[in-house]
Amino acid sequence: MIRKNAGTNELVVRRARVLDPGAGLDGVMDVRLSDGRVSEVGDNLRGGRELEADGLHLFPGFVDVHAHWRTPGREDEETIESGSASAAAGGFTGVVMMPNTDPIVDSPVIVSGLARRIERESRVRARISAALHVGLRGERLTEMRLLKEAGALCVSDDGLGTASAGVLRNGMMYARSAGLPLILHCEDHTLATGVVHDGVAASLAGIPGSPASAEDVATATALILAAETGATTHITHVSTTLSAALVAFFKDRADVTADTTPHHLTLTDDLVSTLEGLYRVNPPLRPDADRSGVGEALRDGVLDFVATDHAPHASEEKELPLEEAAPGFLGHETAFAALYTELVLPGKLTLARLVEAMGCAPGRWVGEGGSLAVGGPADLVLVDLSERWTVDAGTMISRSSNSPYLGRTLTGRVVGTIVGGEVVYDRTGAQLGTRG
Amino acid sequence: MGIKSFLSLEDAGREELREILTLARAHAEGRVANTLAGKTVCLAFFEASTRTAVSFDLAARRCGADVISLSDKGSSISKGESLVDTVVTLDCLGADAVVLRHPAAGAAALASRYTSAPVINAGDGCGQHPTQALLDLYALSEAVGGFDRLAGRRVAVIGDVLHSRVARSVIPAFTKAGMEISLVAPRTLLPSDAGAWGLPVLPSVDYALDWGADVLYTLRLQKERMTGARVPSVGEYARFYGVSRRHLRGGTLVMHPGPVNRGVEISGDVVLDAASLIPNQVAAGIAVRSAVLTVATGAADRVAA
Repeated sequence: MIRKNAGTNELVVRRARVLDPGAGLDGVMDVRLSDGRVSEVGDNLRGGRELEADGLHLFPGFVDVHAHWRTPGREDEETIESGSASAAAGGFTGVVMMPNTDPIVDSPVIVSGLARRIERESRVRARISAALHVGLRGERLTEMRLLKEAGALCVSDDGLGTASAGVLRNGMMYARSAGLPLILHCEDHTLATGVVHDGVAASLAGIPGSPASAEDVATATALILAAETGATTHITHVSTTLSAALVAFFKDRADVTADTTPHHLTLTDDLVSTLEGLYRVNPPLRPDADRSGVGEALRDGVLDFVATDHAPHASEEKELPLEEAAPGFLGHETAFAALYTELVLPGKLTLARLVEAMGCAPGRWVGEGGSLAVGGPADLVLVDLSERWTVDAGTMISRSSNSPYLGRTLTGRVVGTIVGGEVVYDRTGAQLGTRG
Repeated sequence: MGIKSFLSLEDAGREELREILTLARAHAEGRVANTLAGKTVCLAFFEASTRTAVSFDLAARRCGADVISLSDKGSSISKGESLVDTVVTLDCLGADAVVLRHPAAGAAALASRYTSAPVINAGDGCGQHPTQALLDLYALSEAVGGFDRLAGRRVAVIGDVLHSRVARSVIPAFTKAGMEISLVAPRTLLPSDAGAWGLPVLPSVDYALDWGADVLYTLRLQKERMTGARVPSVGEYARFYGVSRRHLRGGTLVMHPGPVNRGVEISGDVVLDAASLIPNQVAAGIAVRSAVLTVATGAADRVAA
């Protein structure tokens, strides 16, 4: 839990390799945290409490604008407590909760209730995305101005998308006047009739496929409407090369940002041939050409940042044939390591760009965190880039274990996470070696 | 030889196919019997089936096995028990083989991870139907004078390949037997990556004959797909993809996994024509499934001895 009145507690993180492209920091230095904020960055800083971080990398805390903490409704799969602990273990200091819970987060009273629970239960800075339309049914708009007053950061149609372009257009215009950005899930359900990507693996296995056009058509619609309405629009989980190209085209024509996920950057639809329900996700894993195309778009900044779409599921929803399994992967705990292992180590992405894409850029979008700039919140993550570890269902901190990386050995591990100057995750349980 | 699941035929070798057909022939001729005496065969059918269920049931009983049948009516399956729990239960009851029919592809593979008994895939979704392909191979090899005479023959697989588990088993099985295959279907009834099989795609049954098809293997067109956006009309489908009497020249053989929509996939006067192997396919079912159960449970060694 974050102690808001972190008080006079001061902590000096010493000798870490600091990297924050947003703040222009790159080198071994000391960082002083006081009263929950970054108060000084420099050499030979000393303080009452010191944390020896020699050999570790220090980044601005990661921010994940796309998480499903299953609260309210499926607390057997995740809670605010467990979801935020999972996020902290992945180095995330800020998270946006998606509204497709049970009930849907579509009324001010649900938003204010969630906000109170976050205050009590969350280890990280959790923000609420309310629903764009009532019940996420794509018909009636939600009370967006009241939702904002109750504490919503943005509105979203995540999980289903908005079937009617007319409703989406009205929603975007109204959200703009309410001063709320939108996070849009782009999927045309008349095309998305399958459960995996409609490609070679699906054809051979006989699993119903959804074509890439199901995403591309809806992405084009959303972008055209974003340009027309002027709404602040974020396209989430972009998974195809064409959708990324569409985003690029509209970058100068609309107030638009976009993200993609660690799994779309590292895995492909080859996994369909395992026939295992674990690998069902929406949008589906794509062929290698899309995986690499999306990776290049992230590298070039066309896709602004990474979001995990952390989606816990109970085992009985995953130990099923692909067609019957629930879509979604855990994301928080493996995001950095998967991307460091699969993109940074092979030279496809610089470490600086990864830190920007996981921390700085989504932090700017949320409006808080993702920066080590003096005066900003003391949200940061310490990472051991040399540690190799195997993803294991038994050691996941999430209440669920549906990670697509189970059994894989990854390089790079979060060893500590600090939110508002407070240690919220300490992998070794040794208070990160602080002394004072 | 130990037990062996039959989930698909993708990993089966040519010799393995020949051995199963040889054993099926021994069953058909009554040269082997009671291969499953003292064994328990469980039929778990999560999807309605008549001919496949009856065929497996008869095959198991004729081999001397006890048979437990679970179907979607009046069993734990109808009460919503999960596939995994059903399979675990059958395992605990001492099933020596589990015959599984399920509406989702990959169900048989999933089931095999939860039981030590061999799992025989009796059709899963649009995925695989290996015993259908084996009985097709059997019926066809009997018709042409033996397994080794299949090599080099040309088979046109006609119709709804997209939704066909039969096609996904028949294509690898026929290929392994040395046959050449083409696909005959409109683009709306082919997988998006039909090229994944590396097979020619032809526009009509007439083209298939020009291509040199020796066998016209027609697939069932489900009623719900005859209308709607995949096929404009039954009339147009039958005109280009239906087999009629005029196609029966020079000894062309006609096959269909059943049940046939007469006048759609095959005209009524062809179904029971001498050129049609459809009755032979059904008849082959019992012998082939007897052989599959015998191999699956590891009883084939005793037969050979």
